[in-house]
Parts: sequence; structure tokens; C-alpha cells
Amino acid sequence: MAIRVPSLAKQMLDASRAVLEDSWPEIKDYAKAEFKKTAESIAMIVRLHAAGKLTKKKARLHLEIQKNASRTVLLTIEGMGIIAVERAINAALGAVRDTVNTAVGFRLI
Amino acid sequence: MRHSGRDTGKALRRALQLTVLAATLAGLGCQIKLVADYDEITDRSITALQREFELFFIDVERNLHTPDAVHDNYIGFYDEVRAELSVIRVRAAARPKNEITVEQLDLVAQNVDNLEELHKLGFDSPEELEPLRAAFQQSFQAILTLELAKKRGQ
Repeated sequence: MAIRVPSLAKQMLDASRAVLEDSWPEIKDYAKAEFKKTAESIAMIVRLHAAGKLTKKKARLHLEIQKNASRTVLLTIEGMGIIAVERAINAALGAVRDTVNTAVGFRLI
Repeated sequence: MRHSGRDTGKALRRALQLTVLAATLAGLGCQIKLVADYDEITDRSITALQREFELFFIDVERNLHTPDAVHDNYIGFYDEVRAELSVIRVRAAARPKNEITVEQLDLVAQNVDNLEELHKLGFDSPEELEPLRAAFQQSFQAILTLELAKKRGQ
């Protein structure tokens, strides 16, 4: 049985697109909420410094802590993105599993 | 003859492409994994560590402006959380495709150093503790959020 590449590609694209579209809102909401928290913390550091309650040295350390916390958030976003891609690839392969397996005559995928 | 040679070349290239595709798919198996699986022990350990930090911030806030709040009284806390982080990191690093979580744990460890340096300088107000508490909560939540995402609907 011959494989029709355009049809196979379309099936894969449709399956992966659905997964990616499903994942994006969750990632976006998480990122939005976390960056709001970081912005609030930075604003608090600036206020404390302006009020003379935080020395320059302490303000720098505070900011470093916020930067590292933001990096952990960015890494989670990166990880969630990779997991979404992984799910999309698996969905794409899953969408054409039967067609490919039938064509080759054994369980390839 | 030249025409036939071109066709043969095309057919060979196509066969080669299909072989590469088949080998790739076979190598992939049924499911591909780009990120490590969920680990319940990491989940529980991070949750326990977060609790220790919450207790630390409550305790420091209660003792503010008293001699009890000084860094020397919390050396045990810093030693303990560093040891716990190190144990969690070793476990995380032993799991394949878990580099992101390892990097996150390294960032928390750096922040423990920064927090201790601030503590040595002295905490002056409850407001100063707020962004610190928020930052540690944010980091632990980020690690847990990724860990839960690794469940992939399991």
C-alpha cells in the first residue's frame, strides 16, 4: 500500500496543532500570573529603598533573589513548552499510526 | 540511457529517504519523551522544603527587632535546607532528561546563599520579608508546576 505524503502530513499537522492550541492558554495564564507577582515584588523593593528602609547592597541582593525566582518560572514555561511539543509529536505520530503500520505490514509506530 | 540513470538516482534517493524515515520512526518507538517523567519523591520533598521556608519566615517575622532574629540563631536552618536541596538535586540529576529541574534547584540554592547574606546584614522590617517569601514561594511553585506537568495526564 502506497503512502500519500500530503495526506499523511495533513493528518500529522492537524493532530499536533490541536495539542499545541490546547496547551498554550495554560502556559500563557501561568506566565501572566507569575510575572505579575515578580513585578509586585520589584515594586516593593523600589519602595523600601526609596523610603530608606533598604540599603543599596540589600536592594541588589533582593533583586538578585527576584531574578533567580523569575528564572525558575521561565524554566517551567520552557519545560511546559517542551512537554507540549512532545505531546504534539506523539499526537502527530498517533494520527498516522494505522496508515503507516498498514502500509509497511508490521507495527512500525 | 541518461534519462534512465536519472530515474534510478531518483528512486535510490527516495528509497534512502524512506529508510531514514522508517529508521527514525522505529527509533522513536510508540511514544517519544523529551522531558523526564513525574517523580513523586521530588514533589513531596519540594513541598516539605517549602514548608520549612514558610516556618522560617514566620519565625523571623515574629522575632524581628529582637536578638532572636539574628543570623547566628538560624545557621541550623541554612545548613538543613542546603543539605535537603543537595539530596533533591542528586536525585533529580540521576533522572534522564531532567536538566530543567536540576537548573531550577541550582537557582533555589543560589537564592539560599543570597537570603543568608541578607540575613547576616539583618532584616529591618516585615515589609522586607514579603518579597523574599514571595520569591521562594514562586520558585517552589515553579518546580512543582513543572513536576505536575510531567504527569502528562497519567
